[in-house]
Order: sequence, then structure tokens, then C-alpha cells
Amino acid sequence: MDIFNLPFWTFVAVIAGIYTIFALGLYLQYALAGLPNFGHIAFAALAAYTMAILVIRVAAPLPLAALAGLLVAVLFSLLLGIPSLRLRADYLAIATVAGGEIVRYLALNMQGLTGGPLGSIGMLGPSKLAQYNAPWDAFLRRIVEVLKGNPALASVASRDFAMLLVVWTLALVLLFLLWLMVRSPWGRLMRAIREDEAAAAAVGKNVFRAKLQVLVLGALLGGLSGLLLAWQIGIITPDDYQPTFTFYAYLILILGGMTRIWAVPLGALLFGLLYSGTRFLNVYPLSLFDSGDRAYLRLILVGLLLIVLMAVRPQGLLGNRRELLLQ
Amino acid sequence: MTAPALLSVHEVCKRFGGVVAVNDASFDVTPGSITGLIGPNGAGKTTMFNLISGFLRPERGTIAFGGWRCDGQPPHALANAGLVRTFQIPRVLTRMTVLENMMLAGTAQPGEALGAALYMPRRIARKERDVRAQAQELLQLIRLDRLANDYAGTLSGGQRKLLEFGRALMTRPRMVLLDEPMAGVAPTLALQLLEHILELRATRGTTILVIEHDMEAVMAISDRVIVMDEGAVIAEGLPAEIQQNERVIEAYLGSPQVAGTAETVGA
Repeated sequence: MDIFNLPFWTFVAVIAGIYTIFALGLYLQYALAGLPNFGHIAFAALAAYTMAILVIRVAAPLPLAALAGLLVAVLFSLLLGIPSLRLRADYLAIATVAGGEIVRYLALNMQGLTGGPLGSIGMLGPSKLAQYNAPWDAFLRRIVEVLKGNPALASVASRDFAMLLVVWTLALVLLFLLWLMVRSPWGRLMRAIREDEAAAAAVGKNVFRAKLQVLVLGALLGGLSGLLLAWQIGIITPDDYQPTFTFYAYLILILGGMTRIWAVPLGALLFGLLYSGTRFLNVYPLSLFDSGDRAYLRLILVGLLLIVLMAVRPQGLLGNRRELLLQ
Repeated sequence: MTAPALLSVHEVCKRFGGVVAVNDASFDVTPGSITGLIGPNGAGKTTMFNLISGFLRPERGTIAFGGWRCDGQPPHALANAGLVRTFQIPRVLTRMTVLENMMLAGTAQPGEALGAALYMPRRIARKERDVRAQAQELLQLIRLDRLANDYAGTLSGGQRKLLEFGRALMTRPRMVLLDEPMAGVAPTLALQLLEHILELRATRGTTILVIEHDMEAVMAISDRVIVMDEGAVIAEGLPAEIQQNERVIEAYLGSPQVAGTAETVGA
């Protein structure tokens, strides 16, 4: 594949935008408030599956199905948070690791409801291909039509380009709103909880309520990114919700610099670049491997690059090194 | 003293496994007083603080603050009711600035509600200005104003103690529990801290319960002294009485050599 392949990079940028929203949820929970969530992908899975099931099985209108998806993600975050947030942070970590895997295994094994390993496409049984994407694609087509009306944009107008606009508009609006919140007293309260929740409680802050707020907010963002990803790909399977994806979001936070909200989109773009860009490493001597082996080599290279970056710049691109060293 | 107690601890018990940390302890603190809580290491003083401030629940007994039965209430509810504590090992928010540490403790900031920043930015900004002014004033008082924009994690142990003291005052409490406020604070600064404590009571009528190992300081500032040993309150009274109390000298001061020092300390 040519390295200057516009459709390919458009696709990469869409995914980076979706990852921005996904990682923003984790930014709020972990980088801001110090809640270790290792099952973030479960929120994406629940929102996407709920949406798909409602659209495919009961022909629910897409906006309604999407809202229901977000609601289920929020309910799940409450289910994980209410019993574990009163305890030490470790317990939330355990609950979310387990919760994330439970969701994936349910999707895999409740074949009648979820389509099992086949995913959304098998939701109506083996004889009929199920799909949930028609209304979303119609929406994107309308955007493409509008773009085609503009001579300057006509040449680039495509489904993925329309998606790019939708995703990044959403991502930037969310970033801006959350930035306002993070720099407000609410954000200060969240950072205080990250630093020492007993200290925050001792000066009259309701720590449990605050932690629940940020957990739910993160779940909403995780759910939203799950919906967008499901619409972008057009089919969902349990394999799309491996724990690895949660760790990609952590990578994005680490790459960008943990404590800066504007580092999240930067980290997402960098991650997309590292992850997809290594696809073009088909030059000698790497070309000695066949493409299947090179796929694994890619992961090794991504890991190596991360190690180098951490050695050279442990605070990430925009992070603050002094802050990192404080005890 | 005839005034009704502000804080009333009644037959409180707390055990950790087989260890009885607090055993049937009772005492009262009158409003506007400075009360010293002393006792040897392991006497149960800090556990008593944890019980009063809601960080622990007593197994038996009751605690009332201003007539409100408050045992079993969460720490933030007590803080909001005007009962605020500091910690023996200071809990400063290290990756936040000194000023932010103080401003966190500002009360009634509507901007702490979820999403409030999006629909009432002006109201929040106004309140922030007040809170910042209050914080800066207090920082001057505890002489940390020059470090306002430094990370709290860069402060020394003694400075952290001061910051915690200042942060507690940010909530404008009716009563403060100070857990060894002078430990690790330089002598001159410790003297100033004592003055602040006295001034706090004089100007705002704040009630103070203080754990402190510096006998001279405790005897100098306290109106009353409560002595704990092995989880129980073994004596209570005026500083002069406590210094003469044989049981206290035996339990707390132990060897004749230290008891000798006790005669020379205090008023």
C-alpha cells in the first residue's frame, strides 16, 4: 500500500478521534481523579451491543437505541462503583478488570441475544445477515451530499471523510467542555481525591459522590466511543472488546502526558500513527519477513518505541516532569 | 464549668482485632476551650481523633458534637458541621500547589458540583475570588505565602504541618482537632503556631482539641488536659493538677528521671 493513501489515513484519523473520546473517559477517571479502571472497554461494549440489539431485534430508532446504550453503560458503572468506591482504589481496579471480562464473555456466550462469536451479524441466526448501521450510513450519506455541493471539498468527500468530521467535531467539543470542567473547582476536587481522598474528606468533601460522578462521566464517554466505533466498522464481535483496548487508552494517556487534557487527542493521534504507520515498514530488512510475521513485528516495534519514549521523556509529550517526581 | 459541652465523648470503645485501642473513654470539651490530649505512645489518642472525626466508628458508646449525635457519620459530614481535623502524618496534596491545597478547603463553592462550570461560570469565579483571598490571608498567617504557587510536594515536613493547619482553618471550623501540630516544626515557627492557636480561639472562639507530645507547649496553652493510657482516660483537669497527678506521672512519664523534668515544666 502506498504511504500517501488518503482513504487509509482518513480511516486512521477517524479511529484516532474515536480513541480520543474513549481515552478522555479514562483521563477523567484515572489521570484526573486517580480511579484505576482496567475495564473501560466494557462501557464501549455495552453501549454498542445494547444499540445493536435494539436496532436489530426491535427495530428501535437509532437515536433512541444509542441513548439506551449509553444508559446501560452508566448503569454498569454504578454497578461496579457503588460497592467498590467506598473501599480502597485497588478494589475498583479488581472490579473493573473482572467486569470488563464478564461483559465480553457474556457477549460471547449469550448467543441467542448477542450473536455469539459471530457478533452483530449473527444476531438474527445463521440464515439471515443482521445489520444495525443503515440509519447511520444514511446520515453520513447526507453529509457527503452536502460536502459534494461544495466544489473545494467535492474531491475528498467520502463516507469516512464525513465520519471524520462528525467524530472530530464531537471530540473537540467534548474536549473543550471537559477542559472547562477540569479547570473549575470540580476539577480541583477530583485532583484532590487522586492525591489523598482522606484529606479531601477531612475538609468536608463528599468523596464517594465525587468518585461516582467521575466514574459515570467516564462510562458515558466510553459508551459514546463504543457507539462511534460500532458505526464506523459496521459490525461488532466480542473480540473487538479485548482488554487490550483499555490498555491502548492507557498508552494514549502515557504518550500524551498523564495530567494534561489536551494531551489526550495528541496521544491518540500519535498512537494511531505508531500503530498504523508501522504497517509501512515493508522495507529491507523487514521485508525479509512475510506480511503475517511483520504484523507481529509491528507490535514489537510499537512496544520498543514506547520504551524509548518513556526512557527519554517519561512525562509524555505534554506532561510535567517535576510533577511526576513529587512524592 | 457549667456551659454545655461542645464535644461529648461517652463510654466509647474501639478494638482492632484483639487490641483494645480505646476502652470506655469519656470526656467533654467545653466551647471556646483549648484542651490538651496527652498520653504515652499507643495510648489511643489518634484512634480517639479518628473516632471523633468520623474516620472510624466506635463499637460502643456515643459521640455528640454540639448536641448532634455524630458517631457513625462520615468525615465530610462532620467537617461540614464545623468539626475539622488535621493528621499526625500530614496529608497534603503533593501534586497540587500550596494555594490549591488551601482553596480546596474553601466552603460552599457551587463550582464543585458536576458540570457547574458549564452553566454558572460567573458565580463560580466570584466565589473563587473570595476563596483565594481567604487562602492568601491564611497563608500569610502561617508564613507560606511565598510558596503559594509551589507544589505542596516540595514542602518540608514542618511546612506540611503548617499547610494542614491552614487548610483546616479554611473551612472556618467551630472546632479543630490538631494531631501533633508541632511535631517536626522548627522551634520558632512552633511558637508562632502556638500563638496562632491562641489567637484563633481569641478572635473566632474556635474550640481546640490538641494532641501534642511537647509538654511545655501543652501545659502552656491548654485550659484543661485529658490524659489517656492504654485506651482509657486516666485523668482530666487543669494543667497544674495534671502535673501533680501521681497516676499520670507513673503512667505517662514513667521513669523518675522524666518525672523530674515534669516538675520543671509548665506554668
